[in-house]
Amino acid sequence: MNKKDQADKLRGEQYIGNSRKIMIYLVLSGGGILMMMPFLWMILGAFKPLREVMVFPPTFWPQEPTLANFQKVFAMIPFARYYLNTAFVTIIPTIITVITAAMAGFGFAKYKFKGAKVLFWLILATMMVPYPVTIVPLYVMAHQVGLVNTYTGLIVVGLSSAFGIFLMRQFILSLPDSLLDAARIDGCTEFRIFFSLILPLTKPALATLTLFTFTSHWNSYIWPLMIINSDHLRTLSIAIPLFNGQYEQYPNLVYAASLMSLLPILLLFIFTQRFFVEGITVSGLKE
Amino acid sequence: MWGNKFNKWQRILAPYIFVAPGFIFYMMVTFIPAIVGIWLSFNQWSIISPEAEFVGLQNYISMLQDERFWSSVYNTAVYALGLIPGIVIFSLITALLLNTKIKKIVFFRALFYLPVITPIAVASVIWTWIYHPRIGIMNWLIGLFGWTRVNWLANPDTVIPALVLMGIWLSIGSRMIIYLAALQGIPRSYYEAAQIDGAGKWQTFWYLTLPLLKPTTLFIMITTTIGAFRVFAQVNIMTQGGPVDKSLVLVYYIFQRAFADLRMGYSAAMSVFLFIITVIITLINWKLLGRNISYE
Repeated sequence: MNKKDQADKLRGEQYIGNSRKIMIYLVLSGGGILMMMPFLWMILGAFKPLREVMVFPPTFWPQEPTLANFQKVFAMIPFARYYLNTAFVTIIPTIITVITAAMAGFGFAKYKFKGAKVLFWLILATMMVPYPVTIVPLYVMAHQVGLVNTYTGLIVVGLSSAFGIFLMRQFILSLPDSLLDAARIDGCTEFRIFFSLILPLTKPALATLTLFTFTSHWNSYIWPLMIINSDHLRTLSIAIPLFNGQYEQYPNLVYAASLMSLLPILLLFIFTQRFFVEGITVSGLKE
Repeated sequence: MWGNKFNKWQRILAPYIFVAPGFIFYMMVTFIPAIVGIWLSFNQWSIISPEAEFVGLQNYISMLQDERFWSSVYNTAVYALGLIPGIVIFSLITALLLNTKIKKIVFFRALFYLPVITPIAVASVIWTWIYHPRIGIMNWLIGLFGWTRVNWLANPDTVIPALVLMGIWLSIGSRMIIYLAALQGIPRSYYEAAQIDGAGKWQTFWYLTLPLLKPTTLFIMITTTIGAFRVFAQVNIMTQGGPVDKSLVLVYYIFQRAFADLRMGYSAAMSVFLFIITVIITLINWKLLGRNISYE
């Protein structure tokens, strides 16, 4: 064994022996199964009839698989309405956030202007403020201007993101200034530069930001919980726990509803998980 | 001539126009409410009455005399103390295992990361059933070891451990990614040096890898603490602060005071307290991470 391999071995990156490899796979699989258990429990339970989910010890694989649970959920609550509500109050803020964050990120990354430092510092300082500190006063403000129990009230809090501004700024900082100067000499306005030069070059960062923003809005719980009290405005995150409370004796229906509300995020994640991982590594942490 | 003037002005104004929407929308939902919150904390107001009444420090004084407030702080601290070692240990082990040259890393990484992107409302509902006293899978699991059934969420002794376990499950994924990035950032030359010095595998881990991961571990401990002090959704869905206030955490109490009792000022005072805790933790973070280990 040469020196390099020896060092790799200490670093844990060596091509390890088969018995070791099997050990690692076993431990990882065991851990992976434990991590997946809540999902498996829900997914498999969604296909079981009521009497089967109520037995103890539980069955693993559905003995008499059924799709009736899904139909029943739609019959018992306006589930499609909740779905559309969630999609609406997720997609609109996501689009707006991506645009505002890309613009602000570009502004902070590529311009020296009066007040830039102060504005940037303000964003930094404000990021430290925990959401409970702001959310009660935010509710009070929404109440004063009549936004409680409206779509606008749901959407208006999600039009920008500090995480997004940072992500875009970091990414745009790495683009060379000479590119911008060349475009200016060609007679491009600053806005042309942003739309036809910067936006196409930042596609990977835009993708990461879109995914993160979409997920966080789709999963949003506390704000909708506070601001919505009519049934027809409810999002999935509010409806599912309520459904669970109302139909406590039907866990199979609760699993079916949960599975359906999780599905978009699950599919999105399966196809794009690399972007998620990159986003976390860039930002340090997603709270 | 006009063209030149336009060109000059659009260049001067451009950065402000780019920054304005993102900045204003962000400040509108963070900075301004934070100021309103501080103002509220010196007032008594029930939101339905027309005007707030200035009461000076009264809200803070009642807060410090409120036993439920202190028990909510205590419960939150217990939750944080349970969460920190669990998250650090499990995410570090996972990252170390994934940092070996095995196949399917991407697959395993995704498995561990999945809870991070799960809606908290859905996760809470599923875990309510996992902890169900009669048909829950947790009781089946401990039954394999011969233990008797526990009513996890209704027993004052098990409610916080149950929430901690779920909290660990929720956050291993994101912390593991941070550890993984840190592990891959350690230069190869360090390990070559250790190898020349004749260090064994465990020695290398204890005296090289672990000390080099110290800033990362610290970062994870601090973000976990800050996150633990913001826990709300699980408690609201799974326990409503019960049984006997054993899972009454700070943010749940803040919202309860605001929306059940309509004591906006009192709730704002507790929010300011939470903010001060966060600032202290963050300052500790800066102080400790100031002595960051540099790899160069």
